[in-house]
Amino acid sequence: MFESMAFDSVSEFLQMGKYTFHVWSVYALFAVFLTVNLYLPLARRRQFIREQQRRALRDSQANQSPDGDDGRSDANGGSE
Amino acid sequence: MWQWFFRLGSPKWFYELSGRWLPWLYVAMTVLLSIGVIWALLFVPQDYQQGDTIRIMYVHVPVASISLACFPLMAVAGVITLVWKMKLADMVAMCAAPIGAWFTAVALATGAIWGQPIWGTWWAWDARLTSMLIQFFLLIGVIALRSAIESPDAAARACALLSIVGAINVPIIKYSVEWWNTLHQPASNFAMDNESPFGPEIWVPLVIMICAVYLFFVISLILSTRNEILVRERRSQWVVDLIAAQKPQGA
Amino acid sequence: MTALTGPQVSTFTAFRATLRRDLLIALKRRNDLLNPLMFFLIVVSLFPLGVSSDPQELTRIAAGTVWVSALLASMLSLDNLYRADYEDGSLEQLLLSPQPLYFLVLAKNIAHWLVSGLPVVLLAPLLAYMLYLPADAYWTLMLTLLLGTPVLSLFGSIGVALTVGLGSRGLILAVIVLPLTVPVLIIGAKAVADASLGLALGMHYSLLGALLALSLSLAPLASAAALKISVN
Repeated sequence: MFESMAFDSVSEFLQMGKYTFHVWSVYALFAVFLTVNLYLPLARRRQFIREQQRRALRDSQANQSPDGDDGRSDANGGSE
Repeated sequence: MWQWFFRLGSPKWFYELSGRWLPWLYVAMTVLLSIGVIWALLFVPQDYQQGDTIRIMYVHVPVASISLACFPLMAVAGVITLVWKMKLADMVAMCAAPIGAWFTAVALATGAIWGQPIWGTWWAWDARLTSMLIQFFLLIGVIALRSAIESPDAAARACALLSIVGAINVPIIKYSVEWWNTLHQPASNFAMDNESPFGPEIWVPLVIMICAVYLFFVISLILSTRNEILVRERRSQWVVDLIAAQKPQGA
Repeated sequence: MTALTGPQVSTFTAFRATLRRDLLIALKRRNDLLNPLMFFLIVVSLFPLGVSSDPQELTRIAAGTVWVSALLASMLSLDNLYRADYEDGSLEQLLLSPQPLYFLVLAKNIAHWLVSGLPVVLLAPLLAYMLYLPADAYWTLMLTLLLGTPVLSLFGSIGVALTVGLGSRGLILAVIVLPLTVPVLIIGAKAVADASLGLALGMHYSLLGALLALSLSLAPLASAAALKISVN
């Protein structure tokens, strides 16, 4: 397996012939692209769930006092 | 058949189904991506002309080819939105636009980096780069229209229509740019399509990378569509239950 | 508008009435008529100031400059297309009329082209002269603009129809429409450039003609659908 490698040594691999910058910047960009596009939706999801939980908590506290409904908290109405 | 079709249109059903698929997609993507990247970086032999820049192909070509799939996808979703008024189709189209813009931008950037050693310049008005750039503008237009219209329903239908018009235009733009380019300057010596016949040691890793990047596209589309479902359906009971069932996220 | 509401009115009559009405309104508003032309003139004269006044260099960029400026000028005039009708409610009447919307939209587009595109075509030779375009290319310039500017109006109409209900439309309209016009610009400018080199032009004309035919048949449909979405 190792004899089919395109490089003889680690330093040669890191150097990528004459094209150190070109090859590695493309792969770095690719890595950033993958990470950002997987991380952002997950972060957004966590943030949304946190917001909704906080709102639910506030609403359940507000329901004990008479006029705490802020109009945005009807859990059964709306779409679907 | 139709029952199945409309069930697919139910956001809740999609949310639950995609939740079951996601772990498998993650595993498949990670495996394929690791194999593909290691193969491309370590085992693909240097090209006799391009040297090690051939390794850029294994990022650029998958990203570019999948970015081309974005407009047809949005147009199909647009037709479904306009004809059957299916909410899910609009959510997919809405999430596909920014992801497609990302893919197009990365394809442009990697294309420029690949072109530099071969053309001697970062940017050339090559037919492929140019039509990719125009496609990027079109996607930006769809995103801008979406954010400009306040009513979600009108925005959905307007963007659906614009996506269809754009999808019809993309091939026209592509052919006109190619036509302009071939007459404009001599065909570049940077032949990507008609290169000497590829051996399997070249194209097998390429196929693996294309599959991996395709999975990545699907995963990130599913992830943002799921978010969009949660946001739009936040008042319905199943989302309220689902959020109550999540363990509290730190304040 | 009253002429359009009765069910007994034929499609052709409605088409003619819409065309006539839009032309009359446009002719009454002289400023709206003149502004795109002035804009065209000003943009073209910016190029010698910005690039160079050297005749040889200007000859080289003349074709592209005139075409790009014509494109921008037609962008600028698009806003008039449905705006006033939207504000005074006659657009809603148009959508409610029993005639096929395709022909009414087409009539409005033709009227718009007659008052904004055609003057640009007629003014183009003067500007081409100022940019030292070779004499061989004049007819090509006029002819490609004649074939190309209707396409710009038809494509632009889709964009205006999509954005007519929005508060701030200026830039978003250009962002949506300009990428769609790339093929027209490419073919038109190339035809003029090739004409000044004395090359054969059959293909350029047939491509432009194909684009015009395609947009004549499809773009009004898209505009009509877009109007229905925007006016609710």
